[in-house]
Amino acid sequence: MTSQRKKAKGESLTLRYLILGGWALFCLAPVLWFLSIGLRPRTEIITAQPIYFPSFSLDAWHMIWEDWPMAAYLRNSIAAIIGSVIIDLVLAIPAAYSLSRFSYKGRDDIGFYILSTRMMAPAIVAVPIFFLFRNFGLLDTIWALMLIYAAINLSFVTWIIRSYMLDIPKELEDAAKTDGAGEIRILWEIIIPAVLPGIITASVIAMIFAINEFLFTLLIASTPDAYTMSVALSNFTGGSDGVIYNAIALVAFLAFVPVFLVVVAIQKHLSRGLTMGALKG
Amino acid sequence: MARIELTEIQKSWGAVQGVRDVNIDIADEEFIVFLGPSGCGKTTTMRMIAGLEDPSEGRIVMDGEVMNDIDARDRDVAMVFQGYALYPNMTIYENIRFPLRMRGVPRDQHDAKVRRAAEFVELTDYLDRKPGALSGGQRQRAALARAIVRQPQVFLMDEPLSNLDAKLRQAMRVQIKHIQRELKITTVYVTHDQIEAMTLADRIVIMENGAIQQIGTPDQIYNDPANTFVASFIGSPPMNLIEGKLENGAFRAPGIEVANLPTRHSGAVTLGIRPEDCTVAGGSPHLSGTVYGVEPTGDLTYLTVKAGEKLIEVKASREYRASMNKPETVTFDLSRLYLFDTTTGQRLS
Ligand SMILES: Nc1ncnc2c1ncn2[C@@H]1O[C@H](COP(=O)(O)OP(=O)(O)OP(=O)(O)O)[C@@H](O)[C@H]1O
Ligand SMILES: [Mg+2]
Repeated sequence: MTSQRKKAKGESLTLRYLILGGWALFCLAPVLWFLSIGLRPRTEIITAQPIYFPSFSLDAWHMIWEDWPMAAYLRNSIAAIIGSVIIDLVLAIPAAYSLSRFSYKGRDDIGFYILSTRMMAPAIVAVPIFFLFRNFGLLDTIWALMLIYAAINLSFVTWIIRSYMLDIPKELEDAAKTDGAGEIRILWEIIIPAVLPGIITASVIAMIFAINEFLFTLLIASTPDAYTMSVALSNFTGGSDGVIYNAIALVAFLAFVPVFLVVVAIQKHLSRGLTMGALKG
Repeated sequence: MARIELTEIQKSWGAVQGVRDVNIDIADEEFIVFLGPSGCGKTTTMRMIAGLEDPSEGRIVMDGEVMNDIDARDRDVAMVFQGYALYPNMTIYENIRFPLRMRGVPRDQHDAKVRRAAEFVELTDYLDRKPGALSGGQRQRAALARAIVRQPQVFLMDEPLSNLDAKLRQAMRVQIKHIQRELKITTVYVTHDQIEAMTLADRIVIMENGAIQQIGTPDQIYNDPANTFVASFIGSPPMNLIEGKLENGAFRAPGIEVANLPTRHSGAVTLGIRPEDCTVAGGSPHLSGTVYGVEPTGDLTYLTVKAGEKLIEVKASREYRASMNKPETVTFDLSRLYLFDTTTGQRLS
């Protein structure tokens, strides 16, 4: 009787893994397909006949690193993204603290105003931003990318962190005050550690947005000094060589891997952060 | 180490009045206990002393210095919060150490002080844990340890033992009293537990509805209640309050007659008598009714007698037993009778 039940349980577990495995394969299929395209010779990709035993080639791999300044693109992407997240956190944490803790006239309006910057189509501000950066001499620099990514993400980073801060009981700060801590200490030693999951969540989402940002990057970057991975992808299209599918696929895959790894590493925080951020505030 | 004077304190949030007309003069080294039903303003008063809440009106003076505009962190108080307020990201050790760090206590003293405080609340085995991994009672003890780890001017303790079992509570109570006496620190303590209040307090402050009903030593509160609220709040079971008529020194209510009372008063009065001042039967009984309930507890028996529509509690001897609805008489100790004005509830002298 018990062994029967145990067996049934074992079976249902196997079944569960089978279903989940199948689903994972289904979801990952496009990614794997990408990878396989990236690792095949170019001729094999554009042939009309189906190929059952694809051959393996590192043509695209060599091409992106040797013929194209891929290392520079990668460096630009990483620098611009990390820089923008740092700018965001430095600005968003105090802003969120203020919005969640102090009551002052117009506080809720400011909160809404910050969020409303996400509500318009980015193309509307493209031209003014172009002129702004040109006048500051920032065109075609990663500093400009940092600033623009930070600006795009600042509102929701503030919003997510604020919603976490609202969850911190006020008594906690009262206790810290009676224990003798000043505002900066309270923020640094009590509040920030308590909202760390929110900070991580917001940072990761900001990174994902930044890595996928295309419009403003295209506008600002014009040489490999500022090209990022996302814009580099478009470099493999057009030109005398036609569309270089295997290189595109490989670059896309390379852009995907770091984000994927980060998300896997922090997924516990992420799912909680997404729902909390969604429900609160 | 501080005298605290609260003068004409009011606290309101819009239309909600949390605390009204609070006047207390807390002496240096005194142990003051706030006692009162839920929502009567105990925590609010305490938070105003701590500087976490600004009084809407009135003055808070500590050692002669007006504190109204002094920040919480600059008032040298240590507080145990009703909701514990432990820092979730720190271990219990770091929680207890936090005030030492913030107040600039020399580093080489930290460890010894933290361990002493933890020992005191019997938490030494849990110092490495985070608050989330402790039970409610353990968290409460950690909060207590954080407050007593240093020597402030004032201790503020908001129901610091409410979540402990009876045995631990008794032990902690003795400990708190001991360190308060040893360190001579002015202490304000909130509790719902009468025994705690009676045993710990130099003076008890009874509050109701944001206002102070009476301030006095435990003896005064018990023996000289200022009004029916205090009389019915202290004592277990509480004082019997019997509404009736007083005429020519004789009090009458259904089933109850007490003669030879002072003739100064007359009209509608409320007679108060504690269950422990009632005797079953006796020479010339003041009450005759029927047995409504008998509850033996071991060392004595709680008897409820029904006189007219009124239920009267009596503490009877441990052997006392009676069947339901049996006629019974009760004698009051006339020297322990209280008279209150029925409309105002105030004590008549
Ligand atoms: N921030 C606030 N805003 C509005 N009303 C409040 C606020 N804080 C407390 N009150 C009200 O003030 C009154 C007193 O509250 P307080 O917390 O002092 O009660 P308490 O005596 O400590 O009760 P308990 O024994 O349940 O802890 C309550 O009616 C409460 O609803
Ligand atoms: Mg309270």
